[in-house]
Amino acid sequence: MKVLIIGSGGREHAIAKLVKRSGLEPRIFVAMDYRNPGLEREASETGGKWFIAPTTSPEKIVGVAEEVSPDLIVVGPEEPQFAGVTDALRDRGFTVFGASMRCAEIEKSKVFARTLMWKYGIEGRLYFKAFTDVEEARKFIEFAGDVVIKPARQAGGKGVKVVRDTQAYLSRDRAEVKKSYVEKLFNEMSSYRDIDYKIIVEQRVEGVEYTAMVITDGDTVLPLPLIQDHPHAFEYDTGPETGGMGSIQGPGWVLPFITDEEYRKTIEIVSNVLKALVKEVGEPYIGAFAGQMMLTGVWGPTVIEFYSRFGDPEASNLVPIVESDFLEILDRAAEKRLAGAKLRINEEIVTIVKAVAPAGYPDNKHLASSHPISIDEARIRELGCETLYASVEMRSDGILYTKGSRAFEIVCHGNSYEEAYKKAENAVTHISTLDGWPLFYRRDIGSSELLEDRKRVANRVRQVYMARAKNGLIGKILVWVPGEGILENPLIGFVR
Amino acid sequence: MSGLLTIYAFDELWNLSNILRYGLMALQHRGSQYYVVCTNESNSLKCYEDEDIDVAKKISSHVAIASTYSYQTENLFDVKKSDGYEIVAIVDRPWSAISDFTSALVVSLKNSRNRIDAFRNIIKTFQTDHSVSIPSLMVLTSDREVFVWRGPQGFTTFALGSYGFDMAIAASESVAIDILGGDLKRFLGCGEGVYISRYLFKTFSTDFSNGCSGVCLFELLYLSRHDSIVHGISVYEFRKALGAELAKYLDREVDVVVGVPETALPYAIGFANSIQKAFDMAFVATGGRRRSMLASDPFEKIVAIHLKMNPIRSSLEGKRIAIVDDSMVTGSTMKTVSQILRFRVGVKEIHLFIASPPLVHGCPYNVMRLDVQNLLAANLSKELAKSYLEVDSLHWLSKGDVDRVARRFGIRFCGKCFGVDYFGG
Repeated sequence: MKVLIIGSGGREHAIAKLVKRSGLEPRIFVAMDYRNPGLEREASETGGKWFIAPTTSPEKIVGVAEEVSPDLIVVGPEEPQFAGVTDALRDRGFTVFGASMRCAEIEKSKVFARTLMWKYGIEGRLYFKAFTDVEEARKFIEFAGDVVIKPARQAGGKGVKVVRDTQAYLSRDRAEVKKSYVEKLFNEMSSYRDIDYKIIVEQRVEGVEYTAMVITDGDTVLPLPLIQDHPHAFEYDTGPETGGMGSIQGPGWVLPFITDEEYRKTIEIVSNVLKALVKEVGEPYIGAFAGQMMLTGVWGPTVIEFYSRFGDPEASNLVPIVESDFLEILDRAAEKRLAGAKLRINEEIVTIVKAVAPAGYPDNKHLASSHPISIDEARIRELGCETLYASVEMRSDGILYTKGSRAFEIVCHGNSYEEAYKKAENAVTHISTLDGWPLFYRRDIGSSELLEDRKRVANRVRQVYMARAKNGLIGKILVWVPGEGILENPLIGFVR
Repeated sequence: MSGLLTIYAFDELWNLSNILRYGLMALQHRGSQYYVVCTNESNSLKCYEDEDIDVAKKISSHVAIASTYSYQTENLFDVKKSDGYEIVAIVDRPWSAISDFTSALVVSLKNSRNRIDAFRNIIKTFQTDHSVSIPSLMVLTSDREVFVWRGPQGFTTFALGSYGFDMAIAASESVAIDILGGDLKRFLGCGEGVYISRYLFKTFSTDFSNGCSGVCLFELLYLSRHDSIVHGISVYEFRKALGAELAKYLDREVDVVVGVPETALPYAIGFANSIQKAFDMAFVATGGRRRSMLASDPFEKIVAIHLKMNPIRSSLEGKRIAIVDDSMVTGSTMKTVSQILRFRVGVKEIHLFIASPPLVHGCPYNVMRLDVQNLLAANLSKELAKSYLEVDSLHWLSKGDVDRVARRFGIRFCGKCFGVDYFGG
């Protein structure tokens, strides 16, 4: 079976590894933006081929597809979906796994996603206000309180400003930052011509985050196990937001700090959103879909945002655990015959993924780029771990160079977190730059210390949401403005 | 004593001025006589020092290191420049070698790509050259890098925290992180440091031969706020536990248990809970909280004591009183208290319970300013002390008691001034 994978990074490498094991004798073809040696290898080892092509160009990708004439095309990242690549391929009659442009709106536009949740009354929704005009936003933000400011369009998982504002004595200082940030973000977002709303201001919540991914053909929803990503660049959840510095999974379908009931509720929310989305756009959703969730005191399972694709690095956690024929599942979804499909995973083991990035990531791509880097894959394999190539490029001099984002993802598994953690810590030492440029990764990911902390936080918010549910306050935040009455608007701040 | 604070905002949009001021305010109970604040201004470093906490408002950048002290003296911070490259170090107690240290460090950092190794190497040379302990310290460079490092013996502590995606915070006490709306993450171990720059945040360890002596017992006994967490230990719970331990020395009936405000209140609560007697308020302070023990001027000290001791007569008059305090240094606080209780209130009996062993030595590390000739327990017999203090009985926790409680909480303390190397495991 000929499979064409569109995309260049670690997620696509994970998909390739999962597809490669299929009993359908896959030949893997790849269309990627740069020479990712990991993807190259998967293609050549299966008797496939790789192409360098701009993955957001429908025309070029259709060109590759016509040359390959694949049985299935898997569109990995979100940007090709936004750009209409999936639709162009389907229009030509190809069988495609990946959200259409209209379905991918759920990830692209945070306003669309939030509005959909409110319109259909789906649980786990947050209060928000969106802005097309900088003046209006600036005025609003002056009186906003405990909020999160986000780009209204998906922008590589970055650009979120979380301003915890629960102390009146610092609220003026924070208001200043919020105002400056709104202006800065408007400037940055003005380059995106494909959306009306530029920024969105949301109610801030806190708790533990986790990702709930599913595979769907628009009717059937096949849930994947819960995985937790780590968005902070640095150890102990410190530092700027990244696309994810690593992730943990297992054992089994839930995480150690999420209950079965919370998992059930989460999948219910995700399924309800999918149903609403299909109804709203009038097209089947075919592909991977994910809720970036947070267990909060406000709702319990709460939606932070959606992905119209597999999470990165969350997809990597699937590599050691999936026992079913993954390619068959993708193919069934793409052909709208997912009903009855079962996903078997190894429920005994846990997986830890650690990303290794060059200093400069995520805020200074220029600094983080073009550093020669080497990896001892054989040693990593000896440890029982897998190497996924992400933002690294093989240049004509035969040397690997960083591309500015997370360079590698190391995937390790074990019978316990302790075992997987030890392997992962050992494995990351086999990556180094050749020019002495500093690399970083998060030692704390997968550690028992961090896991215990997650359990503590989850227990705290669990107590809160359960007490609120008992009092009929789930999802609600009441504000009393004397003279105006009781409002449900948690976006209002101290400074009035 | 002192409080150290680093705030590193990764986003240049932040102006730390007011934030730094509130952070220092949360450390003021550790000393509030002298403030040092340092920051990057365009391409150079700038330090300000003052007696007033408002000096923090002079900061307008997104990166700052700052400290507050109970007294002003030399060798608390030092700026060094080398060919346009500049660093400043701030230490938690006077360090005579600070100038040599910064001179060596500025050269090492300027010439080295590996920032952490450059720092480590200099620490190492000072470890071998100077048998005296290196204090905990913070270094800020003109390249907006910060090193926060806990001294190898670990007398003082560093709590690490963060504020969302925006800030890394390091402070002598966890309350500073709370007050800034941050989340407490962990504590630095002995000789452990953290390097923070715009694009990196890495913890690292340094080799040290002497090993961890443990946290200065006064951190938990007196210095920290009740709402602080020190090395994962709730200060409040620890104090209550020592108070409960102390209750076993009660050998007669009392009517009421009171604590000397306000550090000793949790001890008195633990004591009262343990003997199932009422804990009562006994004194009300005037003019806010003052740390009498930290005052360096003897007159200031006595003023501070007098201001915090207006008695609530109804809870005390005609009663047999167990009064609890955390420690006794010179005994001047207790003398004042007993005089008030005797002459102004009129109590029947005073039984004094001290939640630490007798202080018999000065501090060899200069962490606490203890002059052995002023230490009551080092100079007076128990009988003489009882007469001087006009109390009916006087009890201290034994060294074994403190050791046991420390083990239960899983922490080690330096005990030099109490006449042992350390308490706990």
